[in-house]
Amino acid sequence: MAQENITFTLPDLGEGLVEATVLEWQVAVGDTIGRNDPLVEVETTKSAVVIPSPKAGRVVELHAREEQVVPVGDPLVTFAVEVEDAPQAGIVGKVPTEEAAPRRRVRLKPPTD
Amino acid sequence: MTANLTKDVTMRYADLAPQTSSGAVPVLLLHGFGSTFDMNWGAAGWPRVLETAGRRVIGPDLRGHGSSDKPTESELYLPEHFVSDLVALLDELGVESVDVVGYSMGARLAWALALAAPARVRRLVLGGFGPTDLLAGVGESTPGEGDGPFDQVFNTVAALPGNDPEALAACARGQAARPFTRTPHPAGIPTLLVAGAKDALAAGAEGLAADCGGTFVEIPGRDHVNAVSSRIFKQVVLDFLQD
Repeated sequence: MAQENITFTLPDLGEGLVEATVLEWQVAVGDTIGRNDPLVEVETTKSAVVIPSPKAGRVVELHAREEQVVPVGDPLVTFAVEVEDAPQAGIVGKVPTEEAAPRRRVRLKPPTD
Repeated sequence: MTANLTKDVTMRYADLAPQTSSGAVPVLLLHGFGSTFDMNWGAAGWPRVLETAGRRVIGPDLRGHGSSDKPTESELYLPEHFVSDLVALLDELGVESVDVVGYSMGARLAWALALAAPARVRRLVLGGFGPTDLLAGVGESTPGEGDGPFDQVFNTVAALPGNDPEALAACARGQAARPFTRTPHPAGIPTLLVAGAKDALAAGAEGLAADCGGTFVEIPGRDHVNAVSSRIFKQVVLDFLQD
């Protein structure tokens, strides 16, 4: 297993919001956290939101201090995550590495019934 | 899920199972004016905290809000109609009693529920709420056209996607028709009031807590909007609701 650094940017919080203010970090540099653990509390002009962690990993760097205004798409936090550094066991034959199907972005809506 | 319980209005609600059941009563979360369960509580991280603590979460979109029906007649928004909705929801779910956590208008309705159906409420948490009548005068005016604190709240939420300003105005008038009174207060139900230190809408919360033999906790540096997601708020409520 090797480690790789991945930086997570402030996501689009919806409906034309272009920035958010960091209220309070729920993690500190060096913390190891799980996917969906509370990451950071931010405030938009409309509401207060806790953003869950998109990754399991160790927090390497926080890119914004508390009370700082962060534009959507700017770096928020960098994680060190474990990645496989060898071909996965159990695969026989040649695995195509190119021409992978394009990833689709799907906007999920919670069920209304 | 949705339920059509009181004939006039269909209500959408969330019913979220705990990760591992603690055996404790469910927690009923009541959102504020112009908000929804998802926006007030979901996005602010409350379901996860409660589910992790072993609590089942029941969260309606109150009438006039979110995915629930939005009638435009103010008489359908008298507090007693909200109380009927909530009692009917608990009956539908077969839930005998709950801990109720309300924020802002949701706190006012939590108080009304505890007065009307004390056997259904084990503990009561009022967030972002004080005894000041924010809706004074709303009955005679058009909400949002003045410059009072409630007009500002109204204009902010009326512009949110999914909200119907006409239904919200009717809701404000229906609530204004029954001004909040500090007495009688729910008897025999442990009560916690929580508010941001900079929350002007919750002025007097500490005195109200003293009146009803409850506890008051202030969240440093927070206002009416950003107290909701505060880690301190969640921890204080978890502690208060624990057996």
